Amino acid sequence: MMEAQNWQLSNPILGLAVVGATFLLFYIVGYISNRKSASAKELYIGGGNVGAFTNGLAMAATYMSLATFLGITALILQLQVPFIMLWIQLILAIPLITIIYGTSLRRMGAFSPTHFIRDRYGVTASIIAALFMILVSIMYALGQMIGIAITFETLLGIPYLTGLFVFGILIVGYITIGGMAGATNNAAIQMVIIALMFIIPLGAIMKAVGAEGWYFPPLFYSDMVPAMLESLPTFFDYQFSPKWYFSIIPALTIGALGLPHLAMRVYTASNLKSARSAMVWFAFILGLVFSATYAMGFVGVYATATQGLTISEGDADKLTIILNLVYNPEWVTALVIAGAISAGLSTLSGNLLAIGALISQDIIATLKPNIPQRLSLRIGFVAIFAGGLISILLAIEPPAFLVVSILWAFGLAGVTNAPLIIVGVWWKEANKFGAIAASVVGGAIYIIVSPFVFPSIVLTGHGVTDGMGLSGAMLAVPISFILLIVVSYITNRMPGLEKKLTKQSDIELIERIHGWKDIKSYRYNSTVGAGVTVIVSAAIAVWALMPWGM
Amino acid sequence: MKAYKKEVQFTIWMTVAFILVGNVGLIFSIFPVDAMLFGFPVMYIVPILMGWFGVFFLTIVAGKIGNRIDDEIDSENSALGVSDEVKDV
Repeated sequence: MMEAQNWQLSNPILGLAVVGATFLLFYIVGYISNRKSASAKELYIGGGNVGAFTNGLAMAATYMSLATFLGITALILQLQVPFIMLWIQLILAIPLITIIYGTSLRRMGAFSPTHFIRDRYGVTASIIAALFMILVSIMYALGQMIGIAITFETLLGIPYLTGLFVFGILIVGYITIGGMAGATNNAAIQMVIIALMFIIPLGAIMKAVGAEGWYFPPLFYSDMVPAMLESLPTFFDYQFSPKWYFSIIPALTIGALGLPHLAMRVYTASNLKSARSAMVWFAFILGLVFSATYAMGFVGVYATATQGLTISEGDADKLTIILNLVYNPEWVTALVIAGAISAGLSTLSGNLLAIGALISQDIIATLKPNIPQRLSLRIGFVAIFAGGLISILLAIEPPAFLVVSILWAFGLAGVTNAPLIIVGVWWKEANKFGAIAASVVGGAIYIIVSPFVFPSIVLTGHGVTDGMGLSGAMLAVPISFILLIVVSYITNRMPGLEKKLTKQSDIELIERIHGWKDIKSYRYNSTVGAGVTVIVSAAIAVWALMPWGM
Repeated sequence: MKAYKKEVQFTIWMTVAFILVGNVGLIFSIFPVDAMLFGFPVMYIVPILMGWFGVFFLTIVAGKIGNRIDDEIDSENSALGVSDEVKDV
């Protein structure tokens, strides 16, 4: 990085010592928690008996990626308030997963969302879904790897590639050894570290720039508003049309419903009541840290607008760390690094465990159901390690903005997996032909209209909007719902296909995962509900194709 | 029949409520408000507060109702004859 200013700790040993101590802690917790990981169930869902508070913290940590420390503040610097509005609804992920399908899949005893797709739609559909999910998880993991390497580069002056390989492999090793029980306990600890290492230094920064509400940074910074309005009157402008704000719902709210590593957190709960309590803890702690993130972005913009701080575009991702370097003593910045690394680590372990479960359980065990438990577990460890290695290799040539690629992956999950799970849990008629059509066609459309494959085929021409998948998902998510419902409805009525469908076992599965012990034909069988979904989806897809005026 | 209807209605309305509370920015983009609250523009601070405390409150409500519906499904199950029981895994 040859920027105008070199943001670095002057004493890298301090930074390394703090990071080393953090790593040691995680390794020890991982080792102790996972000594007994003898079965796949223990590896992926921690034995299914994690308490509500621990699980709520772990859910929040899995969700709070390195983006909290690096990416979000950069995009607040770039997009200002619209990006904050976009970010707020991400808190809905775990609550919506829990009420829409999480408890049902927990009752079923699924390892991962694709496990449900296999039982519900058969092997072909589940392998297609699993392949898309591996892509989503790798893109997500890639974002974390890049962030971790950038953190080491920025703060300690370790070259990007060296940091990427050395720390990348250390982290992948820890996750492979730790499994889900280790990851859950560690994620809970990591959440506490993230919250403290983000909010307390932010309070110190606010005190340094003269804010009166420094003792509660997430909300008490209104005394800086008049100065902000004076020097940057446009900061609070919404900038975009209601359509842009609407597109957030299909892209990110529904997108989050398809993220495997989030849904897996619901399955680690010891029972359904505990899963529901965990979502309450999740909402509280995530709201706290999210609000602090907006405050950090605000303070960053404020500092550049009123305090003469200049941050070059290439350094935008490092805003949080730069603010700490400018306003806080070095040892504080060293602790912030530990927080950033924790955030990356907890998300990365969620991603890699999801990849491990997808490859060993959803693909290999599906194709070869009779391999022994020990071998299956060993394949899982290899898959976790390989997934980590691939994300390290992909991170050698990183994309410019860290968060954009992660948010695009949300949309892909929303297109290829979320409709299959949601409709599959709530509508008996959904079948494998509908599922395959929805996943393949929807996924293809989403990839085609993204700016990454054919840069000229995009819906808005507004770089960040297309790049984050907002416009693509607004078209592809409703198409995916329509295909799933319409194709299922038609193929269920084609006599020639009857033998290829498993209607009776589908019906039994749906009744069972909702908690019923009997079968009633009126349950989960509403043609009106399906019809309304098709009409609403069609209207949204047409709206997405109309000009965006951006 | 009762518990089934409750389950479906609860899921639909709760989902709508969560989406609205988490996307107050969308509502303000349609109906802009030019006022201040706690020293911030309303269109800035209300979405943030709703996205934290509003969602937090809804998770408490959703947890309570969800648990109650589970209990009702269980009691409808136990009222069943053994004959039409599906194997429980």
